[in-house]
Amino acid sequence: MSLPLRLTPTGTAAVVLLVATLALATLVPDAPQQAISSNIVFVGVIVFLLAAFVAGLFVYPEKAVTVGDLFLVVSTGLLIWEIAFGKLVLLDPLLFPGPAKVFAVFGADYSLMLTGLVNSLALLGAGYALALATAIPIGLYLGWKKRLFDVAYPIAKAVSPIPPTAYLPYTIVLLPTFATSSIFLIFIGAFWPILVGSVYGVFSIDRRLINSAKTLGLSERDILRKVLFPGALPSIFSGAFIALIMSFITLTVAEMIAATSGLGWYIQYNHDFANYDKVIAGIILIAVVVIVLMFFFDRIQKYCLRWQST
Amino acid sequence: MATIELQDISMVFGLNGSNHEALNKVCLHIREGEFISLIGPSGCGKSTIIDVVSGLRAPTTGRVLIDDQPVTGPGTDRGTVFQDYSLFPWMTAFENLRFAIEHANGKRDPDLFDAEAERFLKLVGLEKFRNAYPNTLSGGMRQRISIARMFSLDPKVFLMDEPFGALDSLNRIYMQDLLLRLWTRGEKRKTVLFVTHDVDEALLLSDRIAIMSPSPGRIKEVIEIPFERPRCRKTLGAQPEYLALKSHLLSVLYCEMLDDLDRQLEEPVAGGTPA
Repeated sequence: MSLPLRLTPTGTAAVVLLVATLALATLVPDAPQQAISSNIVFVGVIVFLLAAFVAGLFVYPEKAVTVGDLFLVVSTGLLIWEIAFGKLVLLDPLLFPGPAKVFAVFGADYSLMLTGLVNSLALLGAGYALALATAIPIGLYLGWKKRLFDVAYPIAKAVSPIPPTAYLPYTIVLLPTFATSSIFLIFIGAFWPILVGSVYGVFSIDRRLINSAKTLGLSERDILRKVLFPGALPSIFSGAFIALIMSFITLTVAEMIAATSGLGWYIQYNHDFANYDKVIAGIILIAVVVIVLMFFFDRIQKYCLRWQST
Repeated sequence: MATIELQDISMVFGLNGSNHEALNKVCLHIREGEFISLIGPSGCGKSTIIDVVSGLRAPTTGRVLIDDQPVTGPGTDRGTVFQDYSLFPWMTAFENLRFAIEHANGKRDPDLFDAEAERFLKLVGLEKFRNAYPNTLSGGMRQRISIARMFSLDPKVFLMDEPFGALDSLNRIYMQDLLLRLWTRGEKRKTVLFVTHDVDEALLLSDRIAIMSPSPGRIKEVIEIPFERPRCRKTLGAQPEYLALKSHLLSVLYCEMLDDLDRQLEEPVAGGTPA
């Protein structure tokens, strides 16, 4: 068997830049304004990126070009960041901390971030699950019953564009805790896209397929569960994807306004103390969480819709 | 297994304010165990008749009796195969069969369902494609599964709406032979209502052929096909009687089409009186 690793020109460049960044981080001292006790986390991040690059080539050998291009963009950004802000301090060091300083936050605030992450994900999971559990059956039924849809459509059209966070001050008064009110907001934000996805999913099913189901003697309940639901699933997934992003936005904003823990709160709290290294670290953490969530979402979607591929 | 009786079936659709008469007082008696084909140009209401007999659509007037029982809605006493949309794309070949068998039999014998599904998959020679999704199969394979599904339900009558219309000619020959072989297998034959626009297909398969004509859709003529079964595709086509029937069928069909064309050319604003 030939070597599975195919190093493309951009991939090679990415490795060179990452190694250069690594050398800069370990051999050249940071500017005094950016100095921190240990840059071990930053070094860890660079080593992790190198390992991820190699792993990416192993897992997706057919996408070697894309993997190389992608890592080149990331490593270029990282190197510029390190040189411009970490070493040369071209801009205000308070507002523009170097990478070593930002990544060091993950080491220092590890437990605080983890608690925040767990709290945030718990709220997100509850609100999102609630939206899935209600919007899908309601959407399927609305898509199925023309008369109900005609009533629901204008109402939904009026109510759905209201940003969920607009309800926040009112729900905080109405509901007993921040947790319940933010679960409610996430639910509202996720509900509409999933509902729309379910309704249009039913619309998109070939009527003749439903006729085929009827000739098998299926009851209306079985048609809903066993024909409309799987048939609408591709569209439901598109709606659920938008809903997931929507939930995350809602959650972060709600936490910034009213929480005492969580990812959004972490950013807002450190902003109040002008700890911009921590603010940036919080933003990076959110990005990583979103990437991981999207990855799993994509996996679930591919599995559930495996019948679509040819 | 059953008789089908079409009594004065009329069907009127409202189209942009004007009414379109898809069927006009169609009467047809289908005998027990008979294979009858509906043939005619598109728009003559062939598929509407299938919809009415399957219970998917109620006729505007008239009724359908199966074994003297009026049809009120869809049911598993009638097995249906459509052109190319009978199977659920999210189920594998096996799951499609199992699903149909399970629903036709209620919850009585869950252990038997798997075995039955396997058996009917084997019957159409697709046991190797057990776990394939319909999207990954050819049109011919999909129709084999649809036919296996129809047989697995063990209905009183078979309703087939241009089941081989989307297939290439080789596949079509294969499917016709498969259908005949399966249909003549048992001692009791199912009653079959088969829609086609292929004259040779109708002649090969049918005991009788009902020729339909459009605007409004009606049965113009019913002819007996006297050839003995089993029929041999190779020798059948050479018989003078076959050729006579074929040319008769074609002339009736074409005559109608040509008349139609003449009418359209003479009065471009349509709506001419039937010939």
